[in-house]
Amino acid sequence: MAQADAPESHAVVHRLRQKHRNPNAAHKHPVNKAHYEEASRGARVADQVSAALGSWPFIIIQSVLLLAWAAVNYWGLFVRHWDPYPFILLNLVLSFQATYAGPIVLLAGNRHAQKDRITLEHMADEADKGEEQINRILVEIKKNTDLTLRILKELEAESA
Amino acid sequence: MSADVKITTARERVAAKHKHPVNQLFHDEATLGERVADHAAAGIGSWWFLIIQSFLIAIWVTLNSVEFFTHRWDLYPFILLNLMFTIQAAFTGPVLLLSGNRQAQKDRLRLEHTAEVAEVAEKATVEILKEIERNTEATLQVLEHLKKRRDSKSPSGAQS
Repeated sequence: MAQADAPESHAVVHRLRQKHRNPNAAHKHPVNKAHYEEASRGARVADQVSAALGSWPFIIIQSVLLLAWAAVNYWGLFVRHWDPYPFILLNLVLSFQATYAGPIVLLAGNRHAQKDRITLEHMADEADKGEEQINRILVEIKKNTDLTLRILKELEAESA
Repeated sequence: MSADVKITTARERVAAKHKHPVNQLFHDEATLGERVADHAAAGIGSWWFLIIQSFLIAIWVTLNSVEFFTHRWDLYPFILLNLMFTIQAAFTGPVLLLSGNRQAQKDRLRLEHTAEVAEVAEKATVEILKEIERNTEATLQVLEHLKKRRDSKSPSGAQS
C-alpha cells in the first residue's frame, strides 16, 4: 500500500470484476457501447444464440439426451424402438444440429471481426488525438525555452 | 547466458500469476466451468487430438473390414462410425462457441480496461500541459521584471 495510486488501480480492478460477472453492465469504452448497447436486433439475437449454444447447460443437456436416446433404443426400455442400433435417426438429428452450429459459429465470428475492425478505427482516432496533444505540449515547451533564452540574454547584457 | 533472462514455456506462462488485470480476472480468477472450458478447447484444438482421432478411426475401420476378426460390430459402410463423427461434430461446435464466447468476453473487458487507463492518461496529459503553461506564465513574468529593472536603471545613469 506504499504507492499513492494503489487505491485507484484497485477501484479499476473492482469495476472490471463487476463488469466481468455482469454482462449487462453499462460500458465505458465507445467500441463496447457501439457493439453491445447499440446493437441491432439481429445482432442481439446472434449474440444470444451463440451464448446459449456455447454454454455448459447446452453441452450437458445434449449429452443427457444423447445417452437417453441410445439407452432407450438399445435396451428397449419402451415397447416401441423408434431408432434401433446403429441409431440412424440420431445421426440425422445430430447432423442437423451440426449443420446449424457451423453457421452460428461463423455468425459470432463475423460479429467479432466487425468489432475488431471498429476497435482499430477507434484506436487510429485516439492516436491522432494523442499526437495532437503531444504537439501542443511540445509547442508550449518550445515557447518556454525561447522565453528562458531571452531572460538569459537580458541577464548577460546586464552583467556585461 | 545471464540468470535473469529466462525463457519460459507456454505451459509455465499459463500457470504463472498474471500482471495485467484482465488476465488476472480471466485466468487466475476463472471459475471451474471456465477452466474446464479452456482445457476442453485447448484439448480439441491440439495435434494430439487430431493424431489420436486418426488412429482410432484407422483401428475402427481395420477391425470392421478385415474378415479375420470375428467380432465385427460395425460393418461396411460403417454407420456407427458415421454416428461417432456426428457426435464429435455436435460437441465441437458448442465447445468452439464456448471458447469463442470467452474470448469475446475477454475482449470486452480489455476494452473497458483500455478506457479506464486512457482516462487516467488523458487527465495526466492535460495536467502536464497546464503545468507547462503555468511555467511559461512565470517565465514571462520574470522576463517582464528584468526588462522593467533594466529600463528603470538605464535612463537614471549607471549606478553600479
